[in-house]
Amino acid sequence: MNESLLSTVGRRARALRSMRRGPARYSAFDLVRRGALHQDWPRSFTQHDLKTSYDAVVIGAGVHGLATAYYLAANHGMTNVAVLDKAYIGAGGSGRNTAIVRSNYLTPEGVRFYDRSVKLYENLAVDLNFNVMFSQRGHLTLAHNDSSLRTMRWRAEVNKLQGIDSEVIGPEHISRLVPYLDVSPEARYPVLGALYHPPGGTIRHDAVNWGYARAAEHLGVHIHQYTEVTAVHIESDRVTGVSTNRGDISAPVVVNCTAGWASTVCDLAGVRLPLITHPLQAAVTEPVKVFLKAVVVSGSLHVYVSQTDRGELVFGASVDPYPSYSMRGSLEFTEELAGHVLELMPSIAKLRVLRQWAGLCDMTPDYSPIMGVTPVDGFLVDVGWGTYGYKAGPVAGEAMAELVATGKTPEIISAFDLARFAEGRLVGEKGAAAVGH
Amino acid sequence: MIRIPCPHCSARNSAEFRHVGESATRPDPSTVTPEQWRAYLYERSNPAGWTTETWFHTVGCRRYITVERHTVTNEIRAARPAGRDGRGGREPAEVLSTRADSGSPDAGGQA
Amino acid sequence: MATTPVSRRLPAQAGELIDRSRPLAFRWDGRRYVGLEGDTIVSALLANGVDVFSRSFKYSRPRGVLTGSFVDPGCTVQVGDEPNVRGAHRRLEAGMDVRPQNVWPSLRFDVKSANRLVGRFLTAGFYYKTFIKPQRLWPAYQQVLSRFASGGVTSEQNVHGYYDKRYVHVDVVVAGAGPAGMSAALAAADTGASVLLVEEEYELGGHLRYSGEQSLSTLSDLRAQVAARPSIEVMTDAVVTGRYDDNWVAVLQRHVVGAVERLVKVRAGVLVAAPGLIERPYVFDGNDLPGVMLSTAMRRLINLYAVEPGERAVVLTANGDGDAAVADLTRVGVDVVGVVDGRAGETIRRATGRGRLQAVELEDGTVLPADLLVTATGWTAPTSLLNMAGDRPVWNVTAARFVPSGTDLPSTVLATGGVVGDGGPEDLMAHGRAVGTLAGERAQGRAGGTVPTLPCAPHPAMFRASTHGFVDFSEDVSSKEVVAAAMEGYDSSELVKRFTTATMGPSQGKLETINTIAVLSEATGRAIEDLGTTVWRPPYAPISLGALAGRVFEPTRVSPMQGWHEQHGAVPLLAGQWIRPDHYGDAAREARNVRENVGIIDVTPLGKLELNGPDVPQLLNLVYVNKWSKLAVGSVRYGVMCAEDGVVMDDGVTGRLADDRYLMSTTSSGAATVWEWLENWLQTAHPDWQVHVTPVTTAYASINVAGPKSRELMQRVVEGGDLSTEAFGYMQVREGRIAGVADCVLWRIGFTGELSYELHVPASYGLHVWEELLEAGDDLGIRAFGVEAQRILRLEKGHLIVAQDTDGLTRAHSAGLGGIVKLDKDDFAGKPELAWHERFALATAPRLVALQPVDPTAVPPEASQIVTPEGDILGRITSSRMSPALGHGVCLAQVDPAVSAAGTVVTIRLPGGGDIAATVQEDLAFVDPEGVRLRA
Repeated sequence: MNESLLSTVGRRARALRSMRRGPARYSAFDLVRRGALHQDWPRSFTQHDLKTSYDAVVIGAGVHGLATAYYLAANHGMTNVAVLDKAYIGAGGSGRNTAIVRSNYLTPEGVRFYDRSVKLYENLAVDLNFNVMFSQRGHLTLAHNDSSLRTMRWRAEVNKLQGIDSEVIGPEHISRLVPYLDVSPEARYPVLGALYHPPGGTIRHDAVNWGYARAAEHLGVHIHQYTEVTAVHIESDRVTGVSTNRGDISAPVVVNCTAGWASTVCDLAGVRLPLITHPLQAAVTEPVKVFLKAVVVSGSLHVYVSQTDRGELVFGASVDPYPSYSMRGSLEFTEELAGHVLELMPSIAKLRVLRQWAGLCDMTPDYSPIMGVTPVDGFLVDVGWGTYGYKAGPVAGEAMAELVATGKTPEIISAFDLARFAEGRLVGEKGAAAVGH
Repeated sequence: MIRIPCPHCSARNSAEFRHVGESATRPDPSTVTPEQWRAYLYERSNPAGWTTETWFHTVGCRRYITVERHTVTNEIRAARPAGRDGRGGREPAEVLSTRADSGSPDAGGQA
Repeated sequence: MATTPVSRRLPAQAGELIDRSRPLAFRWDGRRYVGLEGDTIVSALLANGVDVFSRSFKYSRPRGVLTGSFVDPGCTVQVGDEPNVRGAHRRLEAGMDVRPQNVWPSLRFDVKSANRLVGRFLTAGFYYKTFIKPQRLWPAYQQVLSRFASGGVTSEQNVHGYYDKRYVHVDVVVAGAGPAGMSAALAAADTGASVLLVEEEYELGGHLRYSGEQSLSTLSDLRAQVAARPSIEVMTDAVVTGRYDDNWVAVLQRHVVGAVERLVKVRAGVLVAAPGLIERPYVFDGNDLPGVMLSTAMRRLINLYAVEPGERAVVLTANGDGDAAVADLTRVGVDVVGVVDGRAGETIRRATGRGRLQAVELEDGTVLPADLLVTATGWTAPTSLLNMAGDRPVWNVTAARFVPSGTDLPSTVLATGGVVGDGGPEDLMAHGRAVGTLAGERAQGRAGGTVPTLPCAPHPAMFRASTHGFVDFSEDVSSKEVVAAAMEGYDSSELVKRFTTATMGPSQGKLETINTIAVLSEATGRAIEDLGTTVWRPPYAPISLGALAGRVFEPTRVSPMQGWHEQHGAVPLLAGQWIRPDHYGDAAREARNVRENVGIIDVTPLGKLELNGPDVPQLLNLVYVNKWSKLAVGSVRYGVMCAEDGVVMDDGVTGRLADDRYLMSTTSSGAATVWEWLENWLQTAHPDWQVHVTPVTTAYASINVAGPKSRELMQRVVEGGDLSTEAFGYMQVREGRIAGVADCVLWRIGFTGELSYELHVPASYGLHVWEELLEAGDDLGIRAFGVEAQRILRLEKGHLIVAQDTDGLTRAHSAGLGGIVKLDKDDFAGKPELAWHERFALATAPRLVALQPVDPTAVPPEASQIVTPEGDILGRITSSRMSPALGHGVCLAQVDPAVSAAGTVVTIRLPGGGDIAATVQEDLAFVDPEGVRLRA
């Protein structure tokens, strides 16, 4: 073990011990005890006064920002950290996504990266003492033509070489997993096969956001909601702090963990990004008895669907066809979505859509994020998360925390550097495009 | 469903068009450095506000048009035939490279 | 089992909707009942003395009528195969099979009601605090939790049904046909505007329908006026579900002749929102007991359905509608044992009873036995459509409700009636008329006029009694849980909503939002106006997937020869929109026949573009990586197109037919992209070039004739031409008559690696020429071959397929095409990147190679990975087939340059497990690498 790892382990152990001594342990026993005694639960988050300086400022209180702050405190003992958000915790993409978690990516570096996230998610409830409801119910990506099937096999083979459970299955197996799916050859776009990834599934995104926030808070991190960054201060190409609507903060490190606002925030620092922001819409139906266990994605039909434990069907599709910062939602999205969903599952025509919403996705040229250093010293980015940001929250937070604390870019994110565009080194996920979820 | 005021065809539903990209000036390939070229290919202003961009009227006049649109409200204040500012608008490089079927009547299938 | 029939039906009421002469038999929870035409499911059941229709989500509490409207949370039932039917809105039909949802074993004895005992532990968000360990039990915990899921059942046997769509262009849409809405529609029509009037209920009138004789008379008059105007189209049992950009308005018609439902998409000049007001439940202990209902529910029951809502009533009234409710009850003989006046500061404390209301406890401690408690404590303005248009509602302190601010609305969105302010029918109608006139004028481009005001009447701010009760009946969230959530830190309206799930149920927040915010205000000490409301998102009312989808039009494309293919046993291949023949039974045999005799394949989907003009060579030089200036008339050249990042985009051949006339071919999936690519360059960068592009993919039927005997065959069908190799060599093109058809294009190219010709025939003659070829070549051993055989043949020749042997990162050099990139050209798409690639990246970029498996019987599946002994990836198989000509497997692969040298042995990991070895070949072509047969 090298030195930095030792110290990380040591700090983490101390942090965990201190957490256990803290207030509000969650468990069935405590639920019963407090219920029986009519005791209130203590606060999970508080509003703090804004200090004039912090060791690090994280912009964005979504899962990436909160995880970064948490791991800074838990893994590296850096607790003098502020997380700033212009709205409430998880107001952006972190509260609007359809919460699909998987690691069946195309490139070895992608697989390694997302798999680390899956592993962190698997233990997150215990680590944070907050039930994040990670349901590894299986994930299916349907292929409707030869080219797509070939890509599924490509992904399956790369996954298997990395030890990830992933396999191409045929219509008959698909039908057993999802009886409602139309796998007949008469369909307009017949299902030829699917990439089946048993460890993939869904998570309760609000729980992850609150779990990280609560744990980070308890370790001493300050989470400032309704605090908008209005300027980034730079002297001699090095960041010195930020201005907000509640006052100024000086800090040697500022991390941009926003989505939808990544370009806007980077503009404050004079950093140019290769991002295009598109709305991504989603919709949910009324609850019905649970009939769909797996998450089903169809790249060709540009649609994905899962069912929550409450019985609601959750749908999504690809991003809107033109860039925009509007989260109003459109009718044509629900029309196309419904059309494609019914092509997959014709029997659910009578289910009703209850609610639609949208979040903002920052699309990069190679379907991979942008993480790490920028030309401005101390100004770091964790952006460009497109439609695949939520599943990477834990691993991104862990890696960015390491970068902030040690000053060195961890190997697991080295392929995602901002410099790759100027150097023509785009990530291989660009190799095959699909509705990525 | 926003409407695009096509200068040739008048206001039509946006579903008739394809969004091409933010307008930019193509650098001179004979003198450009790799960094400058890739900045042209990949960097975007991506404003939350007024932007100048190119649309293509796929099922209408099939002309490229330059549009000024506010990306938050989707208000459009100008639309004119795409001019000669280098190229009318940047195709996101990944759109071409991944060969999406643009859905035009003359689209083919996968070979 | 016989039951004593109970009848709670009252004598005839003025304005009743029921037809007493038309009884309808139906089933409820397995038993047979009789209702009347005009009843809703719930009014029919109430008339029969049934007053519990469901059990709640978490605590399984019995629920009855609360609002008596579409959003009534306790009245959701299953009707046949349709889940989540709103029983207090849906009209009864003969033979309906209605069942309660999510109850086991029965409505009367639902097992989940045990939850009530542990209710104090099952507070909002309880699941976040538990089920944490041991983790491996989480799936089991999930199964338990999912039993809590409320909602009806669906089955995979359900039939899709027919759903329709319609487009409407109209001057004014009026959403809501109460007195204000109808008046607005009339006034708009009187300005000359076309009007669409949309009403959620089955008949027009809103609250006028159940507000007494005077209102009925006013209503009758308004209805007659509406019916008398042909320019007003009326839709009932229809709801405006959303207002989108530029007044794109969605209307759901819930019952139409000939379809299950219809989605009407309207581009409206002006939208007038007139949804009225929704009555708000009061929060107190016992507020969900069957027998507790809102004044509007009670008045509807009595006046529309002649149903007696109870026998002994207590009324909590804080407004005129509550007072009118007392009058209605008295009129029909219900014993009103207590009237509590909220305006005088009085209120109730709680409602009690086992399974239904039995007594009401007042704040002063008095307990009144009663089986009916009517509350009239306030209103909520359903401002959704206005919010969708940009309005941010403001809290009106005097009226104790949110009202539209009107300041952020576009001039094309207006509001009238209860949603804006208060008044009797005359006031509402006057306001509606004024707004309707304005709407009509604005829609027809005549500006001017300001929106009139309609003031709000003062109303006591009554949200919660001194006890805690439900704020969200669908989600079983009590005010106590909202307070607890706020105490824990979930203290903004968004956070409290997400944590408790209040407002996230099937009522879409219409009954829940204000009470939740009011309780949050109490708990945090922050004023309601500072907390704001949560964002109102579309749809305003739930809308089925079927209605949203409508009929899905996904056309397929076929060539003129498709009928022949089907008749001759072709197995179809779906390639984008095209249906093509994959093979006719034996692809290997078809392929062998091409190498030995002659075969023909239908390649009509091939992209084709005709280019005309003196500047075509400049365009070709710009879009292709190679040189085109010296392409002579009658010659054909192969070209590769790259995008500006140097990645291979498309390939094909282009031939010069005449001085200024060229025919370009592209891959079939690239046809549209290439056409737009060319247009982009021409329109925006080089408008001075004289080039005209015409897509001719479907103007020509295309046929490829391939094999050593193909010349002999072509000579029989091509008129007046010397097809000898001297006269018409490899990569040449000419036009002429083939099989009697003029204007055909014929070129010699060789995707399959044999002597071959590609014919482009005017499409309507495609089948004729196809059949002529088959007949003429009969003695030459001609057979049709399909796409699969073509894939085998081209693979044997090492010819790449773009997007199969290349991907989104493959630059020309990595596809073995470096040789045709002419970097000494001035400028072409992709040049800078290709030049840098050649200089800096060549050594490390992947290469396309041909691989031959060592085991002759092995055919590794496409996408198999090529690996090092440690399992690191060196590349992948991109194409792979068994070669009938050679008797062994042949592959193309993208590999790391370190293993790309001829003779290198690589390891392929098979998907099924195990590894095989393969050798890198000298050439990409396995068959005839020198191309002797091509050039015959």
